[in-house]
Amino acid sequence: MWGGLLSEGYVLNWIAVLVVAAVGLVAILLMFVASRLLAPRRPSEAKDSPYECGIPAAPYHWSQIQIRYYVFAIIFIIFDVEAVFLFPWALIFVESVPIVFYEMLVFIAVLFFGVIYGWRKGVLQWR
Amino acid sequence: MNDFSLLLPEFLVAGLAFFILALDLFIKENWKRYLVWVAFFGLAVILFVSLFIESEGQLYDGLLEFDEFTKFFRIFFLIIGGVTVIISREYVDSRLKYPGEYYGILLFTLLGAMLLASSAELLTAYINLELLSFGLYVLVGYERYNPKSNEASVKYILLGAFSSALILFGISQIYGLLGTTRFDEMSVAFSSLSSISPGMAVGFVLIVSGLGFKLAAVPFHMWAPDVYEGAPLPITAWLSVGSKAAALALAIRLFSEGFISVFGELQPILIVIAAITMVIGNLLALVQKNIKRLLAYSSIGHVGYLLMGLAALVPIAKTGSVAETFTNLVYNGLLFHMVSYGFTTMAAFLCVITVYNKTGRDDISAFAGLSKRQPLVALVFVCALFSLAGLPIFVGFASKFYLFNAVGGQGLLWLVALAIVMSLISLYYYLTIARQLYIENSEDDAPIAVSFVTKLTLGGLFGVMIILGIYPAFLLEAIQRATDALISGNLLSLV
Repeated sequence: MWGGLLSEGYVLNWIAVLVVAAVGLVAILLMFVASRLLAPRRPSEAKDSPYECGIPAAPYHWSQIQIRYYVFAIIFIIFDVEAVFLFPWALIFVESVPIVFYEMLVFIAVLFFGVIYGWRKGVLQWR
Repeated sequence: MNDFSLLLPEFLVAGLAFFILALDLFIKENWKRYLVWVAFFGLAVILFVSLFIESEGQLYDGLLEFDEFTKFFRIFFLIIGGVTVIISREYVDSRLKYPGEYYGILLFTLLGAMLLASSAELLTAYINLELLSFGLYVLVGYERYNPKSNEASVKYILLGAFSSALILFGISQIYGLLGTTRFDEMSVAFSSLSSISPGMAVGFVLIVSGLGFKLAAVPFHMWAPDVYEGAPLPITAWLSVGSKAAALALAIRLFSEGFISVFGELQPILIVIAAITMVIGNLLALVQKNIKRLLAYSSIGHVGYLLMGLAALVPIAKTGSVAETFTNLVYNGLLFHMVSYGFTTMAAFLCVITVYNKTGRDDISAFAGLSKRQPLVALVFVCALFSLAGLPIFVGFASKFYLFNAVGGQGLLWLVALAIVMSLISLYYYLTIARQLYIENSEDDAPIAVSFVTKLTLGGLFGVMIILGIYPAFLLEAIQRATDALISGNLLSLV
């Protein structure tokens, strides 16, 4: 069909992606049309706000957020990453060779260094 | 079974980096300027260790491969890393805050470079490339209150992320079509293919472009002068030697282990890139007024010579037994020129740093009359420039001669002719600096004081340039072993 430009298997693989994409698009389109036809329309100020969640938004659209939260978020990532790797490790390390256990200790030590670093740099104090 | 002693130098470098970061947290402010010695002597010990440990084998199911090639690059990176640390000393003391993080992150980039030389699988190589790049993004922007440094960092992050995306997309294409990302399995899969499909060609082009970005080869070089100009000077030196050598190490291993059986398809691309890189790099260097930008364009020109060697890894005309020796020579020439370029560039940058520390200027006219103000720095600088241009008795001549000769033997004579012409042109702009150093007079005749450590480093680099230029045999023996490790299995499958 493609004149030998691409191998058949390669094209078939991508056709699956194409079909999924098309189905997704059609489904979204159907939802929009359905809500357009079925939903009752009673506009109000709260509903027209850019971030609509039922209660009026906080004072201004451009309100400031403490930069300190950002530092906490970075510290949080340390524990987050740790958890992602700890759960699969916890399932297998008993049956595996001992080195698996010590490798994880090294990993935790490296992440723990991040916490110490943050602590010494004064991140954990709310200033 | 994994033998982790193979990774000992890498573990030690990581440990040293953490140790320096931790020391920085707990020692007093006025002790922090001694951290440089911790880094330097730590690297010296690691270098000593890696000279003597056994390094043959594989780790993690073949994701990392350890052979003489790995060992060669590991030692090269450790030496260049040590030189970078020592030339950073005065610059960091006088101009940068937070020395602990500086040396710590520098050591992490060194770790990435070392691991890159041993990667034998595309995704492992990608992760190590990112380890190298992430550290460099931070270090390039280390002068926080200098707008140029910030601009350089943003440019480097954006273009670096873009090139990483290109490499990843290329890897996904290759994996999608071959079902493997390991170099040895790739070469087997390639040799059973009858022809290269368009999807594969896209993969090749993407990977070559991504590596071209990291090497600052010419259509992908636009970031280099701006980033080199804005970055702190020692980091510029590390960028132009360490990070380029790391990308080159990956390229050599990838092309000679993974892509060797389809190298003919890649060769035209590499030849064209090499040719325009040499021409553009050297021609644009002619009009530069800033010494950092000039050295940036000159390093682009040198990447052109190295790419020429890369393009000639496989002979143009397959003529049987003669080709094998010449291929050997190309590998040797490539590594030899990389080493010579590395040490010479480090010497040139040390001279620039010394002058910049005292005067705060980095335009070429700042070097006027340096021979009267500081004769030693002027002497080493002019020798480094002659070596970069490829004049005899300096190492630059020996390595260029070797590389050009080997590439000519592979049948790429016109490219060699172009390289020789470009070397001649490069002599012009190197001589403009030499003229400033020795003929022009400066308005300020006050002598520039140079510390003992700097003198020692200058002398050491000067000695390396001369000794390797006159008697490179011991270096070439090490290079030959590295080449043998790469070539042994591969050429047989080619013929």
